[in-house]
Amino acid sequence: MTIAVLLKQVPDTTAKITVSNGRVDENAVSKWSFSPYDEYALEAALQLKESMGGELVAITAGPARCEKLLRDAAAVGADNLVHISAENINDFDSTQMQKLLAAAVEKSGSSVVFCGKQAADTNSGSTGPGVAELIGASCITMVSEVISDSGGYLATRPSSSGHEKVAVSAPCVFAFDKGVVEMRRPNVRGIMMAKKKPIETWSIEELGLDLGTSGISIDSHSPPAEKPPGQKFEGADSVSTVVGKLRDEANVI
Amino acid sequence: MPYEALDFYDVDSLLTEEERMVRDMVRDFVDQDVIPNIEHACREGVFPDEWRVTLGEMGVLGAPLEGYGCPGLSYTAYGVICRELERGDSGLRSFASVQGSLAMYPIWDFGSEEQKQNYLPKMASGEWIGCFGLTEPDYGSNPGDMITKAEDMGDHYLLNGAKMWITNGTIAQLAVVWAKLDGVIRGFIVEKDDPGFSAPEMKGKHSLKASVTSELVFQDCKIPKDRILPGVKGLRGPFSCLNNARYGISWGAVGAAQACFDSAKEYSLSRIQFTHPIASYQLVQNKLAWMLREITKAQLLAYHLGQKKDAGTWIPEHISLAKMNNVDIALEIAREARDIHGANGILDEYCIMRHMANLESVKTYEGTHDIHNLIIGRHITGIQSFTREL
Repeated sequence: MTIAVLLKQVPDTTAKITVSNGRVDENAVSKWSFSPYDEYALEAALQLKESMGGELVAITAGPARCEKLLRDAAAVGADNLVHISAENINDFDSTQMQKLLAAAVEKSGSSVVFCGKQAADTNSGSTGPGVAELIGASCITMVSEVISDSGGYLATRPSSSGHEKVAVSAPCVFAFDKGVVEMRRPNVRGIMMAKKKPIETWSIEELGLDLGTSGISIDSHSPPAEKPPGQKFEGADSVSTVVGKLRDEANVI
Repeated sequence: MPYEALDFYDVDSLLTEEERMVRDMVRDFVDQDVIPNIEHACREGVFPDEWRVTLGEMGVLGAPLEGYGCPGLSYTAYGVICRELERGDSGLRSFASVQGSLAMYPIWDFGSEEQKQNYLPKMASGEWIGCFGLTEPDYGSNPGDMITKAEDMGDHYLLNGAKMWITNGTIAQLAVVWAKLDGVIRGFIVEKDDPGFSAPEMKGKHSLKASVTSELVFQDCKIPKDRILPGVKGLRGPFSCLNNARYGISWGAVGAAQACFDSAKEYSLSRIQFTHPIASYQLVQNKLAWMLREITKAQLLAYHLGQKKDAGTWIPEHISLAKMNNVDIALEIAREARDIHGANGILDEYCIMRHMANLESVKTYEGTHDIHNLIIGRHITGIQSFTREL
């Protein structure tokens, strides 16, 4: 059995984001990382593979810098690495991305797919359900844990009254939320094996895809509005004013 | 604020992808496991055993050694590991230096095939801890006059003498001990339970508090004949080990300096005096600029030395220069950083004072600052100045 993990490289949460000419300046991003929800998905997929055998293929789409992500995935245990080469990844809308990833999943022969519930940069949250629809698979979202269970899988996700366990059989897609597992740290052996592991690079043409044109166009990016300056109060006379603001404006007391 | 490693010239861009991955792995370990626990470990005066386990799991012990379960990384990668560990604490880096360069290395280079197969895999995994016995109470910079001796008793060796300032001694399962056999310095592997061997811990240190320092005492210590290291005689044995450990220290000191710089920068930006952040004052900026300057130079020294180690084009004097310079500037940076932190700098809420106190030891051990100057002086002039007995 082959398990696919869909990984997205996003600016690290500590990286400074700059906007120039109405676009996020990717060249100014000092550090790229796994999208955090993808890390949970990868760790859960590794654990599932370890419990039942099979192969794990890590799939990412994007420019050449994304290969780092695949090496990192290999260092913790991904068996096969697939890079869908696409320099203009930001020009694709969610539907196009889903087509791209669904085609790669099918080409990899995977029947079980793990991904994050949303990417930490675009946050659209559509990849898991979209890919599931295209490959004709069941989809479970907001998953925190997956175990194998009598030929199928048992996924834990939140419900209105706590947690529910959902039984599903392949083909299926699990979109991961933050759960009980943190991604493992690699070790030197894994890192050295990752170095030797080949990365399969697939172009959009090789996947036989006609993605058409994007249905949406991004007008511009803008940084978050700056926080308004704080207010300063001095002296005992201001106590009643401060208490009033904390109570009526900040609603904290 | 998350730690940001100062790398003004982007020296790490010269590392291989593998070396950067190793860096990130060790940096993550230090962030997650070491920094939150280091002050407690210092107060208790213990080396947390979990760190031994994790170092073994990460597979960084004996980093540049190949075969027998060892990692087989580059010397540059070994340097990077030391730098990241010492960003956490010099005691942690000392543990790794002693295990890899001083205990595993001599077995790897000078040991018999049986010794390598017996000891190296369990030392690489962290299951066994090693220590290194060279320094004696009366012989520090002058190890050639050591008193500890070994006698060939026919079917075993008998060791007598004492070693001092031995990192990992009390917690080690194995000691590589240098002793004179018929007047010639030889290496011996002593195991924890060998009769006549004890390793009492030295207490009361103001430095390297999260590292175990011990005496090694040999009173008619009886060891089997197959525990002598067959491959080396004379001071070349221990000095070969020290070259590797000192090389790692030249990188490690950069890590301690980076930690102090990072803390000083953050503190100076947030500390308000005379209505402005102290970072806005010229005297403080001058200090920060000097720190950046010295760290950048030290990084370049360490990196280039790493390349020379990997290419095999190094000489011991290159290592002396890097060890001496980098520890020296790291200690001065720690002191300046303490100054920038004002009174807060003496609290264990900040890493400054701990690094400063640690670096006082690092300046002295593995060849004192002055001895390294003499090694370089001898290289320049061709005249040794260690002793008057010419």
